[in-house]
Amino acid sequence: MDNVITARDLRKSFAARAGRVEAVRGVSMDVRPGEIFGFLGPNGAGKTTTLRMLTTLLPIDSGTATVAGLDVAARPRQVRTRIGYVSQLGGADELATGRENLILQGRLYGASRARVAPRAQALIGLLDLTEFADRRVVTYSGGQRRRLDIALGIVHEPPVLFLDEPTTGLDPQSRANLWDHIRALRDQGTTVFLTTHYLEEADVLCDRLMIMDHGQVVAEGTPRTLKQQVAGDAIVIGLRPGERGAAEAAAALRDQPYVRELEAADGQLRLYVDDGGTALPELIRLLDAGGIGVRSITVSEPSLDDVFLRQTGRSLRDEGPEGAGSSRPPDQKEKEVAA
Amino acid sequence: MNAGYAMNPVRDIGLLFQRYAIQLLRNPVWLVVGFSTPILYLALFTPLLKALVGSGGLPTGNVLDLFLPGILSLLAFASGTGAGFSTIMELKAGVTERFRVTPASRFAILTGPILATMLMMFVFDAVVVAVGFGFGFSVHWAGLAVLAVLLGLLLVIVAAFSIATALVTKEINGFAAIINGINLPILLLAGVLLPISIGPEWMRVLAHVNPLYYLVQASRVLAGGTLTGPAIWQAFAVLVPLCALILAWATQVFRRAVA
Repeated sequence: MDNVITARDLRKSFAARAGRVEAVRGVSMDVRPGEIFGFLGPNGAGKTTTLRMLTTLLPIDSGTATVAGLDVAARPRQVRTRIGYVSQLGGADELATGRENLILQGRLYGASRARVAPRAQALIGLLDLTEFADRRVVTYSGGQRRRLDIALGIVHEPPVLFLDEPTTGLDPQSRANLWDHIRALRDQGTTVFLTTHYLEEADVLCDRLMIMDHGQVVAEGTPRTLKQQVAGDAIVIGLRPGERGAAEAAAALRDQPYVRELEAADGQLRLYVDDGGTALPELIRLLDAGGIGVRSITVSEPSLDDVFLRQTGRSLRDEGPEGAGSSRPPDQKEKEVAA
Repeated sequence: MNAGYAMNPVRDIGLLFQRYAIQLLRNPVWLVVGFSTPILYLALFTPLLKALVGSGGLPTGNVLDLFLPGILSLLAFASGTGAGFSTIMELKAGVTERFRVTPASRFAILTGPILATMLMMFVFDAVVVAVGFGFGFSVHWAGLAVLAVLLGLLLVIVAAFSIATALVTKEINGFAAIINGINLPILLLAGVLLPISIGPEWMRVLAHVNPLYYLVQASRVLAGGTLTGPAIWQAFAVLVPLCALILAWATQVFRRAVA
């Protein structure tokens, strides 16, 4: 079956005070039908800008994009009838009830009042909105609101659904609950394209993903294959406080043939080896022989953060509003939205 | 559901008009503010005008007949400028984007709210006329009907301008600076409170580049029950093309500039 989303060399730049800023610099992708495709990257990586080009909200500077079989630049109106889009902000009317929002949204897609009422009712059931469907949206919790936002995005049964940072600001339970709903949509045949800056979300939810940084794709694949690209296992050695031999230890270990990469920082050595199980006894022996005090050793399989770290030299964990606690961090988002 | 979609801007305008009207009704703050402004003008400014009559070259006669049409014009102008504030809020809340990603007509997304604002203005107008009537304003129905058309035209012009400015500036500070900067000179140079005719010649000349001036001039003639005259056709000649021009521009802005 044909790809649901195809993009070739998409580019977008914006005028800014310091000249033009290239937000998206040559992004290409192929999204297959019925998969959850993720776009992982820090804030400002160009995820939202790319998404907005694919959803007809932003003109494409150069490159081509086809969504649901239609060229985005040439036939934006037809594309709109075939896609659902839920922005970071959601945008439901707060003074209207959930049901009223759904009915208006369905009617804007051309459905008659008679046809849209049962559809709204079905969505209310599907996304667990029954209890508060006839209350005004202003009373909803963050998780309830996100579920309504998604219901609004699929009221016209689009084959493709775009979700921009769907779980940002949600508590862990609401997040897990939303993941279940997104998986259920996928299982019913909807292709889901989402952006996220949460590593765990990209890892456990997405069938395939792309990692973006500074407007470019830095890695692409299933979470599993991406993690496998990072050499073997990651070993973190914590040195005793006040240990002076960190540099020596690093030098000694770096020369070992099975050590692929090594970084030393903050009383820690972080290294990647082919096989953690066989390397560990060797490492301990070497450290011991060098008289270097070790506080702890952990061996872990590489995470998507290791993939990002390897490609960009930075950690995703250091960025983004993760753990910021606010339900919707508008200012943080605004940079990408307003650009 | 999407297979049967056919473009129908009139239907879309109806849906978005209805939505916006419901939003207005459920947010009574706007209604209170909207009602209180013209009533306060009538209550607190009319007595001053009465004191001036005869002393400073003001035409004699019923002060309300002179002043109330100006209040209706002011109301059209103020309702129109307010439209952009809602646009800024809806941009921030993601509402505009939610509508833009549907196949609904772009023209409808722009004009639905404007028509709802117009309906609200006519309700206020009716209250102002009713209150004025109680205090001696002479009602000429035919004149008021023609005036309603002009008031509607001015509202569309100002609201479309305000919304387009909101879409370009995208945030409240820049938008408020522009709107407030334009507001005062336009109001002062329109003769809303006192007729421009009592001012110096340079003011009378300058007023002719102000669309609101034409509305105010025509409103006084129409409210007096006269249906023909230069002030009336001049107002139509200025407001009709301006309305078409600004709507075309605002629709363009909407297509391109929205983030």
